[in-house]
Amino acid sequence: MPDLGKAEREKHIPQGIEDSNAVPTEGMTVAFIGNPNCGKTTLFNAYTGANLKVANWPGVTVEKVEGAIDSHGVHIHLVDLPGTYSLTSYTMEEQVSRNFILSDDVDVIIDVVDASALERNLYLTLQLLELGRPVVVALNMMDIVEKRGMEIDLHRLPEMLGVPVVPVSALKRRGLSVLLHAAIHHKDRTHPDQLIHDHPEITHHKHNHHHDFAMVYSDVLEDKIDQLRVLLQAQYPDLQNYRWHALKLLEMDQEITAKYPLQGIEAVVDRSYETDIINEKYAFIEEIIQEVVVNREERVAATDYADRLLTNRWLGIPIFLAVMAVVFFLTFFIGDMLRDYFESAIDSFSALATSGLTAVGAGEMLISLICDGIIAGVGGILTFLPNICILFLTLAVLEDSGYMSRVAYIMNDVMNRLGLSGRAFIPMILGFGCSVPAIMASRALENKTDRYRTMLVTPFMSCSARLPIYILFSGMFFPENAMIVAYSMYLIGIVVALVCLLVLHLFQRQETENILLIELPEYKQPSLRTVWISVWNKVKDYLNRAGTIIFAASILMWFILNFGPSGYGAMNDSFGAMLGKILVPFFAPLGLGYWQISLSLLAGISAKEVVVSSFAVLFDGVNINSAAALATLAASMGQMGFTQLNAYCMMLFSLLYVPCAATIATIHTESHSWKWTAFSVVFQISVAWVITCAVYQIGSRLF
Amino acid sequence: MTLAQGEEGKTYLVEKLSLAQKTEKRLQALGMTCGTKIEVMKNKNGGTMIIKMRNTRLAIGRGISTHIEVRS
Repeated sequence: MPDLGKAEREKHIPQGIEDSNAVPTEGMTVAFIGNPNCGKTTLFNAYTGANLKVANWPGVTVEKVEGAIDSHGVHIHLVDLPGTYSLTSYTMEEQVSRNFILSDDVDVIIDVVDASALERNLYLTLQLLELGRPVVVALNMMDIVEKRGMEIDLHRLPEMLGVPVVPVSALKRRGLSVLLHAAIHHKDRTHPDQLIHDHPEITHHKHNHHHDFAMVYSDVLEDKIDQLRVLLQAQYPDLQNYRWHALKLLEMDQEITAKYPLQGIEAVVDRSYETDIINEKYAFIEEIIQEVVVNREERVAATDYADRLLTNRWLGIPIFLAVMAVVFFLTFFIGDMLRDYFESAIDSFSALATSGLTAVGAGEMLISLICDGIIAGVGGILTFLPNICILFLTLAVLEDSGYMSRVAYIMNDVMNRLGLSGRAFIPMILGFGCSVPAIMASRALENKTDRYRTMLVTPFMSCSARLPIYILFSGMFFPENAMIVAYSMYLIGIVVALVCLLVLHLFQRQETENILLIELPEYKQPSLRTVWISVWNKVKDYLNRAGTIIFAASILMWFILNFGPSGYGAMNDSFGAMLGKILVPFFAPLGLGYWQISLSLLAGISAKEVVVSSFAVLFDGVNINSAAALATLAASMGQMGFTQLNAYCMMLFSLLYVPCAATIATIHTESHSWKWTAFSVVFQISVAWVITCAVYQIGSRLF
Repeated sequence: MTLAQGEEGKTYLVEKLSLAQKTEKRLQALGMTCGTKIEVMKNKNGGTMIIKMRNTRLAIGRGISTHIEVRS
């Protein structure tokens, strides 16, 4: 092979999906599968970076993540399958994964195995081997294994499994190229490589399968498998993998039994042999562990120490509250420090735009549209980016470190009293970031009622888009206690969500099954790359919204505020004012009976940031980035009778009323019901109205 | 006895699972079958507990722990 040039060699470095310069000679599809928490996503991200395509599998709400790279001269299409412990047909995720792997769309399966939890991970591996498709094992987290003083015999493991085993470190990006190389070479290998067995009791079964398969069962089961194979071969001559189908028939797998009715099956399958099959698999796994894991330690790992404190019966909840307080402190404190730089940048940009536009002789109307409409609206939103970045950063760290699943345990008893499993608390925490992924995360709940209730209250958790509203109003009206006021919004959101759950539980009492079941992974140092990709995707999303919805809403607001029945003119006679005035009676009891406020809250349904951006447009392009301008604005609003109480009610209503259009759309896709979606919208507006009304009416009498 | 009665720090052997099919299958896939060793790490009064099984930590609710029969 001639020496490759530098450019040529660089093609071997994983590249993004959009890179289509390199003309690949051939293409192949590699599917990534593994247990939850095995580092599969980190590994997948290591190859594809942030260039992911996330969609749903056709017809079901199971996430499908895809990417592509060119490596070793092959165009490789990568598919990340949902994390799973097994391949039965009991859950949608497992069915989707199984059918995809069995289809001809996949050339090679990469089974990501967490080397530090080999025992449990190998169970999925053994199931994959039985599918009769090319499998390559990626042994991840070897660094953790080494740190604990353990060793894994990398020579013996492939001998026992019959497939290549490649040690990788997704975190440190080691072994990535080797893994793909193995996948490419293993593309057509459906039969195991040379198996070397050393079983303590080799049976002398008439069909000795030890040369053909890694997983060989007891004689009773092997007999039945052989009998079923004969029946299947006679009745379904075109079938691909008889052994796997025979096993599934023995397990009385719903899908396969229905798909391949077999004459004469009763004589062989007199009961479900599923438990036997599971037990024998785990017995073989124990055999593997005995042989390949050297220095298997039993000492208490660091995780156990950490768990003693973090999941302590009395300290668990206080620690959790303290952790969340730190999250918000960082968001406000450090975020605000960074925000100053953003503000001055946007200030000078706006000034530059005005002078530039005047210099080229643009009309007054155009200058107003660009400076008062677009820059004030979109720019106003961009200044909150540092706060939002830090919020997402801290949430991503919590998720990646393994703490989030402990929260499900800590909160389980509280949530049980409200009729939900502790697991329902995870979507609620994610709701602090953004309601859309939070509502999607409620998929992890098995019970349908639980899911619906969680979806209903998750939007009460104050998402990052509401942050600009708090920062603006608490800064304007509560300059001394801005952080406390903003923090109170978060607490109120949590309390309202919990109270709503309690009321729902009392109304529609269902037997709480309390079947929390969640794996608590080892605590680990969060991967910078995983955290970065997660934050970057959220930031991209935020910028995207600023450039589309908020941009459009700003322009629309500028138009309806500057044009009225009599054309371009005073704001008080504009279409916007007319629309706002229609809404005033609805908002008056809440202390929000001003047409400007009503209009901005209506506009906020498109996206909550729009409340703030339209505010900037409403008050004649007031520079919401300058402290002096805000003080003036607060003073002039004060003259309108808009005081601290009104400002607090404004924040409260913004916290509780319908989330953005995107959330409504997500609720619809997740619930498949317009009726439910409409109900949740009406429910949230009612709750917001009643609570804000109560606060205003009581507050205005007290003060 | 049931797993819910298990004491922190002790190890038990699974005798029998009597749960809804779906939950039972998930536990089996995680390796909980007859004879599996389970170490109780935490046990709140209610039966919400953290267990260690086949080197994996799991948090389980009362609805599960009271339906797993074990012996020491």
